[in-house]
Amino acid sequence: MSVWPSPTVPRPLQQLFDRVPLLTYDANALPARSQSATSSRLPTLYVFSTDSDARLGAPSYNPGCLKWQTFLKLARVEFQIVPATNHASPTGALPFLLPARPSPSASPAPVSAARLHKYALEHGQHKPAEQTPTLRLDAYQALLDVPIRNAWLQALYLEPRHAALLGRLYVAPASSSLWVQATLRHQLRRAAEAEILKTSSSAGGGGASAATPILVDESAMYAGARDALDALADLLAESETGWFFGAPSPSLFDASVFAYTHLMRRLLDGGADGEGEDLKIPARLGALVRDAGTGELESHRSRLLEMLWPGESLSGR
Amino acid sequence: MAASLAPGGSNAASHSPRTSSIPDTPAPALSDHLLTPASISSVEVYGATNTRKSLLDHLFRPLVENPGPTTTLGELLNRINRASEKLVRLDIFKQEGYGVFISDARDRPSGAAGLHPERTELDVSFRVKEKSRLVLSAGTDFGNAEGSAYTNAVLRNVFGGAESLSVNASTGTRTRSAYNAVFSAPLNGNPDLRVGVEGLRSSTQKPWASHEEQLAGGSLRLAWLAGKMGDSHALAYSGVWRQLTGLAAGASPTVRADAGDSLKSSITHTFTRDRRDSPTLPQRGHLFRTVSELAGWGPLHGDVSFFKSEAEVAGASSLLSTARFHKSGTPITVGGSLRLGLLYPLAAGFSFGGPALPSRINDRFQLGGPTDVRGFKLGGLGPHDGSDAVGGDVFAAGSVNMMLPLPRTGPASPLRIQLFANGGRLVALRNEGRENENGGPDSNLALDSSAVLRGMKSAVGELASELPSLAAGVGLVYAHPVARFELNFSLPIIRREGEQVRKGLQDIHHE
Repeated sequence: MSVWPSPTVPRPLQQLFDRVPLLTYDANALPARSQSATSSRLPTLYVFSTDSDARLGAPSYNPGCLKWQTFLKLARVEFQIVPATNHASPTGALPFLLPARPSPSASPAPVSAARLHKYALEHGQHKPAEQTPTLRLDAYQALLDVPIRNAWLQALYLEPRHAALLGRLYVAPASSSLWVQATLRHQLRRAAEAEILKTSSSAGGGGASAATPILVDESAMYAGARDALDALADLLAESETGWFFGAPSPSLFDASVFAYTHLMRRLLDGGADGEGEDLKIPARLGALVRDAGTGELESHRSRLLEMLWPGESLSGR
Repeated sequence: MAASLAPGGSNAASHSPRTSSIPDTPAPALSDHLLTPASISSVEVYGATNTRKSLLDHLFRPLVENPGPTTTLGELLNRINRASEKLVRLDIFKQEGYGVFISDARDRPSGAAGLHPERTELDVSFRVKEKSRLVLSAGTDFGNAEGSAYTNAVLRNVFGGAESLSVNASTGTRTRSAYNAVFSAPLNGNPDLRVGVEGLRSSTQKPWASHEEQLAGGSLRLAWLAGKMGDSHALAYSGVWRQLTGLAAGASPTVRADAGDSLKSSITHTFTRDRRDSPTLPQRGHLFRTVSELAGWGPLHGDVSFFKSEAEVAGASSLLSTARFHKSGTPITVGGSLRLGLLYPLAAGFSFGGPALPSRINDRFQLGGPTDVRGFKLGGLGPHDGSDAVGGDVFAAGSVNMMLPLPRTGPASPLRIQLFANGGRLVALRNEGRENENGGPDSNLALDSSAVLRGMKSAVGELASELPSLAAGVGLVYAHPVARFELNFSLPIIRREGEQVRKGLQDIHHE
């Protein structure tokens, strides 16, 4: 099909076009699924979450999503969260935010994670503390981006003992089909491996630096994460306000740290199944958080949780 | 009787002195002959070098079965004719060079001994030429809002049992890539009963709903012809992994909510009765088609669960001849069609009354487009979220048209002028019981069975509650034997807010 709306429609034809349609009814109502997707007048943050958590606005189980969810709450932006997958995102990754629609037929451009900081400052009722970019900030940010993130990826995606958890969080919600689940699980693992390998030359910290790039030294990776968490705890200990870099109120950096520490404590802590204090289990990143420094990270997490999600239980669920 | 029996020479291998050919209309002498008792003494097939004997056995066994004393020559000739037709329908032999030769076995120089003297004993020989086993083709297609390039390989008679393997790859502006392979084979040598296995993988742009759909899956299919007029049935199980991805920047919340993976596991039955004289320019006859699909229920599993059914009736009839005012005598034809569809969400598993999830965008019906409801854009009818056509669960669409001959053209001309009006209504199932009180997301999507029933009733009722969205126009039709082209000028008459119309020219290409 091709159409020729000639640049200049002859006048009588244009007059005819202007007269039709002769009758216009109200718009068709949207299907049941759309009713909940379009009912709210609030901006929507698309994150990894469950239906029930999303309804309560509970913390997302994905560190990248939780970081921005936390920051938007710190900035007191009013928003709702909706469970989604990467396919829903314009960039192929969550989170992203869909601004409120000025009219039911409008389609405002989505705000990707990279622009959420600016969005939060523009639309929030409170300005969170700002960190001026310094080498020091970069260095601590790098701790989160490399050793801590890699340990998270390794523990959740590649550690066999967390296979069930990975399935529950990222695989089962996509499809009930075993074939689809097996394929997705495989894709997730390959993606996590690739992410780790991208930074693995620096991942091991002082560990086995001679390791080939294909083989990832797990114990070195967890040791690197422990050192990084200790360094963050020390940094926090220097602060008089209880927030990073001595800021008067929590900043984006606090949100970034909280996103990992909270989820490590909540999801990767062994915890409830009575495995006790067996610290030899390397994937227990929650234990590393609790034991970092003299508990600064743990108390930092509790304070932020209490501040933003007062209803949430503090004990690792 | 014997259109497919070639009248002809006696160059079959069994050098018979009196090979008889069967004329199209039996002569009076022959019709007397047809009542005489007869049996078949031998059946020979020449030229089927790559075809398995077991396949031919299936076809020819009915010829020699039950050679009771009462079997007449006429009956035998009918059987030969039927076997011959089946042989042709296997689609492994060429038309040219095909022939059936029948000779009287009693005239055989050797071995006439032991034959029944009172009975006509026949030697039957079929001469065939096999079609080439591998056909490769490549080309380009334009039409239906898309241009594409394809390559196709067909391997015929793969194992000598009239099996075929067809492998396709195509890429285009809208279908980014599509690969499929179909293996099909007749059951028991019966060309009217075929089983097939298909594997497919594709990626298709759906700009009317701001996304791309990727499919990977397979199906198992049984197809058969039933009744004297060859009504066709197909029963298929298919399992398809669908992935809605690659969303456009302006994608609506509805499309974003449905983005991601789902597995559809379903059984589909298709019935087609096509009694039109031509599929591309019908002057007379009717078409009746239904498609019914059960997905996800009971042992089918999968992520979606529904019953979906669609029916189409179309007919054409010659109103009056133009002979009075037009030399050609080409008749004016009027035609009409009505299509109805319904998607009913079911509870997953074996439950009847359990909660059911409402339909997803890739399962709902779309309506509108040049080959569908003219005068509207692709997916132009029905509910729209922003600019996205999000589809509906119930639809009705109809059209009427009148085909007029062009001046100075004969009845054989493939060109016609058409006047048409068409319209439709596409309505979505809504959750009526639960309007959102708090303005927050009501993420508990599932509807209980009574809510589904209530919603369906109200959606069906809505079909007829107002006038349908409607467009009318005039155009030129060119009916090529394999495809039909139309160039139409149309104007919308009735629409709904959000529905996307097409004013003016629209050119289309039907298969």
